[in-house]
Amino acid sequence: MSAGAVATEVAAPYCRDLSRFYWRTSPNWACLFVPGPKAAVAAVQGLSWFGPQSVAARLVRASQLARGLAHGKLLWPVDAEQTQTLLGRQLLKRQDAAAKLTGEAIYAADVQLPGMLHAKLLFPAVPFARIKRIDTSAAKRLLGVHAVVTQADMPALLHGGLIADRTLFADKIVRFEGEIIAAVAAESPRIAAEACALIEVDYEPLEQVLDAEAALSPDAPLVHPRWEEYDAHDDVIRAGNSCAYVNIINGDVEEGFGEADVVVEGRYRTDLSHPVAIEPHAVIAQWQGPHVTIWSSSQVPYAARAAVAKTLQMSEGNVRVIVPHLGGGFGGKCEAHFEPHVAALARAATRPVRLVLTRRETFIASDMNRHPITMEFKTGVRRDGTLTAHSARLVLDTGAYAGHGPTIAECATLTAAGPYRVPNVRIEAHAVYTSRTPAGSTRAPSGPQVCWGLEQHMDILAERIGLDPVELRRRNIVGPGDHGPTGAVLTSVGAKECLDRALELMAVDDELPDDEAIGVACGAWQGGMHFPSDCTMRMNLDGTASLGTGAQENGSGAVMGLAILAAEQLGLEPEDVTVQYQDTTLASYDAGSLGSQTTFNNGRAVVAAAEKIATRLKELAADELEASPVDMRLSRGRVHLAGDHTSGVAIKDVVGRARVAGEVIATHAAPPPPLMPANFGGSCAGRVVFPATSPPSFFCHAARVRVDRETGVVRIRKVVACHDVGKVLNILGANGQVEGGVAHALGMAISEGVQTGTDGRQRETHLTDYKLLTSTDVPEVVVEFVEPAGLPEDGGPHGSKGVGEVPVMGTAAAVANAIANAVGVRVRQLPMTAERVWAAMQEQDSA
Amino acid sequence: VLEQVFAPTSLDEALGLMSVAGTRPLAGGTDLVVSERVGRRPFPKALVNLAGLDELRGIDQADDALAVGAMCSYEELLRRERVAGDFSALSDAAAMVGSPATRHSGTLGGNLANGSPAMDSGSPLLVLGARVELASQRGRRVLDVDQFLIGPGETALGPDELLVSVTLPHLPRRGSAYIRLEYRRAMEIAVVGAAAAVVLGPDGRVADLAIALTAVAPRCVRVDGLGALACGQAPSAALIDVCAERSLAAVRAIDDVRASASYRRAMVPVIVRRALRRALDRAPTGTSATIWQTEGAAGDPAPAA
Repeated sequence: MSAGAVATEVAAPYCRDLSRFYWRTSPNWACLFVPGPKAAVAAVQGLSWFGPQSVAARLVRASQLARGLAHGKLLWPVDAEQTQTLLGRQLLKRQDAAAKLTGEAIYAADVQLPGMLHAKLLFPAVPFARIKRIDTSAAKRLLGVHAVVTQADMPALLHGGLIADRTLFADKIVRFEGEIIAAVAAESPRIAAEACALIEVDYEPLEQVLDAEAALSPDAPLVHPRWEEYDAHDDVIRAGNSCAYVNIINGDVEEGFGEADVVVEGRYRTDLSHPVAIEPHAVIAQWQGPHVTIWSSSQVPYAARAAVAKTLQMSEGNVRVIVPHLGGGFGGKCEAHFEPHVAALARAATRPVRLVLTRRETFIASDMNRHPITMEFKTGVRRDGTLTAHSARLVLDTGAYAGHGPTIAECATLTAAGPYRVPNVRIEAHAVYTSRTPAGSTRAPSGPQVCWGLEQHMDILAERIGLDPVELRRRNIVGPGDHGPTGAVLTSVGAKECLDRALELMAVDDELPDDEAIGVACGAWQGGMHFPSDCTMRMNLDGTASLGTGAQENGSGAVMGLAILAAEQLGLEPEDVTVQYQDTTLASYDAGSLGSQTTFNNGRAVVAAAEKIATRLKELAADELEASPVDMRLSRGRVHLAGDHTSGVAIKDVVGRARVAGEVIATHAAPPPPLMPANFGGSCAGRVVFPATSPPSFFCHAARVRVDRETGVVRIRKVVACHDVGKVLNILGANGQVEGGVAHALGMAISEGVQTGTDGRQRETHLTDYKLLTSTDVPEVVVEFVEPAGLPEDGGPHGSKGVGEVPVMGTAAAVANAIANAVGVRVRQLPMTAERVWAAMQEQDSA
Repeated sequence: VLEQVFAPTSLDEALGLMSVAGTRPLAGGTDLVVSERVGRRPFPKALVNLAGLDELRGIDQADDALAVGAMCSYEELLRRERVAGDFSALSDAAAMVGSPATRHSGTLGGNLANGSPAMDSGSPLLVLGARVELASQRGRRVLDVDQFLIGPGETALGPDELLVSVTLPHLPRRGSAYIRLEYRRAMEIAVVGAAAAVVLGPDGRVADLAIALTAVAPRCVRVDGLGALACGQAPSAALIDVCAERSLAAVRAIDDVRASASYRRAMVPVIVRRALRRALDRAPTGTSATIWQTEGAAGDPAPAA
């Protein structure tokens, strides 16, 4: 008899439905896993109590435990009021996991449609030039070519987020190497590429604008000579190549510098880096009458839909965007990218068309790179560590088109102000047009760069007054009741706790080797952007629930985790809640996977919808039981009286009887987002998008590194990442975000960066020389969440804050400080490559 | 545009196909396919896939030499204890190449014939005195690896020739090592590499010494004159320093995306010292192990004593 058969036979009498239980046996152990975290733990522990016995005996014991649990006879007391406590537990079964693990999951590039053609985009031979002539006739004549589209075929229409500064295809000028001149649809990718090569374009080269600081000079050539004619958000302050100026001003910094014992200035700059989702961008479009269906690797399907409707001048209702499984985004798939181009091409070809970018094309054309930023800090401090004044000037190279640049300039000013109490602050930032690939919303845009500069600056301040850098931070870091840089009152703050805990976790017993050292960095991120989201929910006849959301799963599990929030309210297991998503015609609305907002906003909508359903289930059950709805509770798939799990009725029976009586138990919820804090004082930060969302997530990262003094090669030995993200709802997902964020940030710290040649082209456009770290380079990462004393009342569901972006912010800064502590030099350009570390040491030697 | 892929089952058949103009050989494909994909080098009109040629596989382990088939994968090199023991520099290099997937597909012959100045097998083969055998319908010839490597992407292979095998002479009391400066620990291409081989006499003094450099010149290069300089000397830190400084004579470094010429140049003595120390540590006799501490690859933590 097989072990499986034994399990079935022995356990069956005790378990109502064995198929809902999972069993495992081996010669040494056997157990039954009962759905639900608590029960599963019990069964496993139960086995460990009675040592080696026969398989059958152990299965009997396990199934006895399971039976007790299944009938609600718990082995430990539980608060009768708090029967469902899924929050903070491991989500045992992630809905999309099996498909992804087996390779069955469909990604956008996998989509095949009957009659489908292949698209290729034509990029300029001269990256910054006036186009004198485009001739597509030879390309159109090539056998197998079905359509060639250029700006001449499109409505004369400028579009853009805050500044309408671009057209779908190049209109008389190409401003960067990835500007799209034309798109071809052909019967094979090769024919499409050949046709692109047949398109004749005459260029008149323009003077490159590659240095953002120089571009601010009044006599610099303009990337957009007609910038004043563009439609733009009223509060975006523009002038020439500066497409956004932002400031934060508190008090009087000159007065503050006068009160300081020491004033320190420092300058730092970062290279362009990339989000590098492993899945490249892919878009497929298919028309039927006036209606277009688009499969896209988008993080923001609703923004993509709106952009298609706007640029192709059609109704949003006629655009359906489906996002199959997404192979990562990291911000690089925010905003509409190629959906309008492919839709236009498919319409012209009257056939479905698919575009899949190469790695090089994702680097040059997806315009969501991480901003190169030049930072200058000047800070006054007294001998006792009191900060008296802090100023910063930031220049963000935002590339050829504004995109998210103005918003990110605001984010940058908030980060540059620091998570510290300073009475006098003056922060200024410019987002600057250059003739490079546009930068945009890569995960915590501007955060890691500015934190890397500022936290090195803080260490230098400490050094200059002879204070321990950790102590300097302790004395100045914000706490509850303090004000954020733009005046918002901070209520839920675990910043200092993160710092203390990170140091404890990084502590070493023995002295470190000579070439090793530890560095720390603190900070805050305004994650959890306040957007509206809605949610639909319906109870199924089998007692399970279906949840409809417009939220975009980017792979992090944030959308999958919504099932936990619904299950918590409904008394179900997370696997009893099916999440329906991925389609703009079926699902509810959401802004998309950006701004650490998926759980923050959709979670609130899910909780609100589930509460409405729960209320209705309680009403119906209470009627049946002749009880009061206020005494009813939902847990373990039942609606029961408080304090008695065995009483009451099964949820599926309530649903079934309601259906017979003519009621579908379903609802829709669209709770308004919390109000943004008002903007205070004379600053202009916050007038566009980011006044300081509340509540910020706080962190402290500590890194232990080893520096090879002869070569400058840095190896990371260990990273500790402590975060205050409010209430942790899904520990597996939150840990994954932090571990992934640290790995991402370590790449930024030591190897990920792109150089631009004098021709305006990126030099490393493939993963051979754009060096992502590998699994052998990423060290032990210790993740811990510090729950602040007061959970935010105006935050996400259950007092949570955003967690998607903040983990990427502090690691490069901690590594920088560790390098300085190990070898005594500051590396003032990111990434801190071996050659740069070595060069900094050479300079010090020769000084 | 690639039009045909041939799959010969014997060397003769393959050589016949190679005699047709426009055909190129396909070994592991790890360079050829990637180069085409990133647009660096288009495919030829026809490829001759060497995967089916048993004559080019395997390792022949005679007492006085190791003969490695051109289609021998890095993974197979790594599995042979003899390679790790007597030809350590080659084993070091094989262990560094790419990823497990690359090491299973990539072949020693393919790596050599590709002619990259950053190839990891080049410098180890140069210091180990390896010779390559080339074959065509015109006949066979044997060349030193030093004669075989010419420039970036350029070797002595004629358009109709195939690299058949690589033969490494066995020398008793020889220790060798290959050290690479690398920014990350896997999937990496040499920024600077150095191979060193030292033969010690029965008296513990140096009988012969060779150093070759990777990624600092248009091809992997052997440093001239070190054998004569070191012969008869006792291994010492001073000797290592002299060899490291002498190595600069062979450097013709360029600026590229991986490093500046000045950094490469500055790293050459550092990496050469490390390679030479490790080679001396591995030399079967002598007192070398006591005068310096073994160091790991560039940037790696020193192994515990």
